[in-house]
Amino acid sequence: MPREAEPSLNEKNFVLQALQDSVRLDGRELEEYRPLALTFGDQYGVADVTLGKTRVLAKASAELTVPYADRPLDGIFNIATELSPMTSPAFEVNRPTETEVLVSRLLEKTVRRSGALDTESLCLVAGQKCWSIRVDVHVLSHDGNLIDAACFAVVAALRHFRKPDTSMEGGVLTVYTPAEREPVPLSWLHSPFCVTWSFFGEEGDIALLDATWMEEQVRSGSCTISLNKHGEICQIAKLGGVPVEAVSLLQCTNIALIKAKDLSSKLDNWLAEDAKRRDKGGLLAELSAENDRVPDM
Amino acid sequence: MPLDTSTYSLALLRVDGRRWNELRRIHAQIRTQAAADGSSYLEMGHTKVMCVVTGPSEPGPRRGGAGGTGGGGGVGAGGQSKDAEVVVNIVIAGFSSVDRKRRGRGDKRTLEMQSTLANTLAATLHTHLFPHSQINISLHVLSQDGSLLAALINAATLACVDAGIPMTDYVTACTAGSTSTYAANDEGADPLLDLNHQEEQELPGLTVATLGDSDKVVALVCESRVQISRLEGMLAVGVDGCKQVREILDQVIKAQGQKMILDGTVDKGTGLNDMDLD
Amino acid sequence: MTSSQQVLLSPAELSYLHSSLSLTPPIRPDGRSPTQYRPLSAETGILPGTNGSARICFADGTEAIVGVKAEVEKTKRKWDDDAVYTENSHNDDEEQQQDGRGEASNGNGNSDWVELTVEIPGYRDDDPSTVFLAQMLSEALLADGGFIKKLRINRRFHWKLYLDILLISPPLSYPLPLLSLTTHLALLATRLPRLKSEGDEDPFFDDDWAAAPYLYSRNPTTKRIAERPPVTLLVMAVGGNIIFDPSKEELAVADVALAVSIGDATTSQRSQGEDDRMDVDSGNSGGRNLKLLSIRTVDPPSRLTPPGVANAANSAYGHAQVVNTGANQKMPEARQTESEAVEGVWKPPRGGAKAIVMGALVQKVLVRGGVADEVLDALEGVDTS
Repeated sequence: MPREAEPSLNEKNFVLQALQDSVRLDGRELEEYRPLALTFGDQYGVADVTLGKTRVLAKASAELTVPYADRPLDGIFNIATELSPMTSPAFEVNRPTETEVLVSRLLEKTVRRSGALDTESLCLVAGQKCWSIRVDVHVLSHDGNLIDAACFAVVAALRHFRKPDTSMEGGVLTVYTPAEREPVPLSWLHSPFCVTWSFFGEEGDIALLDATWMEEQVRSGSCTISLNKHGEICQIAKLGGVPVEAVSLLQCTNIALIKAKDLSSKLDNWLAEDAKRRDKGGLLAELSAENDRVPDM
Repeated sequence: MPLDTSTYSLALLRVDGRRWNELRRIHAQIRTQAAADGSSYLEMGHTKVMCVVTGPSEPGPRRGGAGGTGGGGGVGAGGQSKDAEVVVNIVIAGFSSVDRKRRGRGDKRTLEMQSTLANTLAATLHTHLFPHSQINISLHVLSQDGSLLAALINAATLACVDAGIPMTDYVTACTAGSTSTYAANDEGADPLLDLNHQEEQELPGLTVATLGDSDKVVALVCESRVQISRLEGMLAVGVDGCKQVREILDQVIKAQGQKMILDGTVDKGTGLNDMDLD
Repeated sequence: MTSSQQVLLSPAELSYLHSSLSLTPPIRPDGRSPTQYRPLSAETGILPGTNGSARICFADGTEAIVGVKAEVEKTKRKWDDDAVYTENSHNDDEEQQQDGRGEASNGNGNSDWVELTVEIPGYRDDDPSTVFLAQMLSEALLADGGFIKKLRINRRFHWKLYLDILLISPPLSYPLPLLSLTTHLALLATRLPRLKSEGDEDPFFDDDWAAAPYLYSRNPTTKRIAERPPVTLLVMAVGGNIIFDPSKEELAVADVALAVSIGDATTSQRSQGEDDRMDVDSGNSGGRNLKLLSIRTVDPPSRLTPPGVANAANSAYGHAQVVNTGANQKMPEARQTESEAVEGVWKPPRGGAKAIVMGALVQKVLVRGGVADEVLDALEGVDTS
């Protein structure tokens, strides 16, 4: 298995030395995110998130299926994460690396287990028919802080997604095409966001947000906190690494809440903008015979 | 869901009759396995785990997929690294839970626990003393009743002490919860120490591992939705619980040490003679 | 499949080991006699959450834990099968076992009523060696036709038995004998709740665990266990000697190694002449009536050890001959020299074992008052109540 080249000793020392003086290589403040950008695709449920040089694409899709036998009243919701060799030669197809397992576990805990999506609303006929919602996460470019970017992309994709409308009449289930009825959004309960702290130094006393790949390679520990804007923690994962004072972890959580609120309002704005862009007067406008070509003079 | 909380508010006693700040019975033994370099057996209530440590030793031949799904949870880069690699392997026995449930080795939850343990121990063990080598930690879960990750961390710490691998201090872990149902923000909620399986299912909780008797948190895992205001109370109780656990583990080690001196067993000093201290 | 991980012994050491094991009587590295098992300590009922459990530690430090869990399962059945059913469904052949035809309706069992898994630390659960171990252990159980029948509740329901076998210690020696003995004890200690329902109605059970009967019933007066689960013994041949319970190093020089599963047929009323059952009537000294359940050859790692080079052929001693062992295989004259046994030079065994050696091995296992008897006696001494 090819391995990513490690940074040289000089590079490592330089980064750490600079961090001692609270200076980051790209000149950011310690608690500052890189510029975040979100583009929605033409289809519903495609979100392309760039965070500095990290780029993640998430695509939500729905299909009709049979619910699990042990949960007849719930729909199915899955998040599939793929780190392809396109991102880094260290990732191989069909062999999940530790990073991949941890990223998918974190997304699962943050979005799925915290009940962000109401799975009961996905059930159409108890025990027989339900929607299966699947989000595929593709990492297109990896420059650190995959988790925050991936989580943002998943939430954005799911909130943007519209599933076909259905109706039940006299035991007959009808699924409408987008032309017949406008697709409906998922029943969404809350939007959790991941905020990842990186700790540096022997004592773990330097903490910063949104680490780049270089910073991730020299860090001595990390802690991912998932929160929504209501101040609910959905998940905390400090999986080992350098010991950090309990009090500073609490501080980290409070700052993470501010960041999560910030991310939340950013996403709301983007979604509103996109909705405005798409809303051209609904189906009527689309069906009108006029075209917007400017007639020749 | 409200079963636990409603009875709690009446008598301030939990389902198993404990107070809010009471640990379950911890029983631990070290040196349970003659063939291993270090071993331990730990019970936290009905959660029972065994740990066997082999190494530090020369990294064995890489079996197919050992780095990925097979071995799992390796920290450090194989034999090339100047630090010893900590490889953790967790086997959750099919008979450990009430309903038999088989988890393959590819189970993501197990892989995550392996990785957590490997990272937790790598931060505490002096791995820089054993370059180009490997420390193998294999854990067996014989019975589970909540606080599984905490029990695994405690057992691994004991076994590493038994193996004589130099480490900064004990890493001890325990769980803490809160009697408020998740999302509810009632001020009267009490934090709880050391959750059992039923409480873990019903109440928000977290696992915390600390280093020695300091307040330094090595690992913190919270998997349930909880109000941010509850965190401080839970963390405080958890950290305090870790200190209690540390006392208990310390007694276990000291008792075993005394017994060995009385028996006249001279410790073979695994790894001590050929270790070069710097 | 190698039967244990690679042994790091030089050709000279292997040769020494081989010749000392070929002496009469053989000299084993740990001073045991050829038929002596490693001393062991055992306990049962260690896990209250299981239907039966056992733990065994061998003196060399290897340790195993077995837990048995039972669940009630609905019996799948085929009505049209009654007529076609023949008695020889319990033979050694795994394919025939696996096709799982509905023997249930005849009051017998089905091989998928038992699920057996082996966990060895550091090995994947789909590793060939792990799968092979599980296969050997389950085939011994299934070959003992009486065992599956015990799991029948009524015509519609049966017990499904899950056996989880954990090797706790690192695999220092080939773990088969250890795992087999531990499984034996765990099955002896297994209890199933007492059935309160009658006939073919949905089963319900007595809540009182103290009233739960053992899977292997005991004689109410003498407390002796009437029938016992099978045990699998590992036995190997070196030169003319037969050695029981070989260690890893001994296995590395074995000419042939066999895993022999035996059952206790003393009180068996059902020796309906199934193909693989063979009552051994040799000798009438006290002891058990043993029956042979299954035999598997175990591939000993000795075949993978590099051969030694005699001084006469070694260029390091001034001989100009080609001694590259890799090249040897291709040159007929070099193979000639290799096949000659030279005193003190290790030569890995080639080819199969002679039928007479195989026969002797099996005879030795089944002999009355022999090792198998000793092992069963020792296991009987373990308190399983």
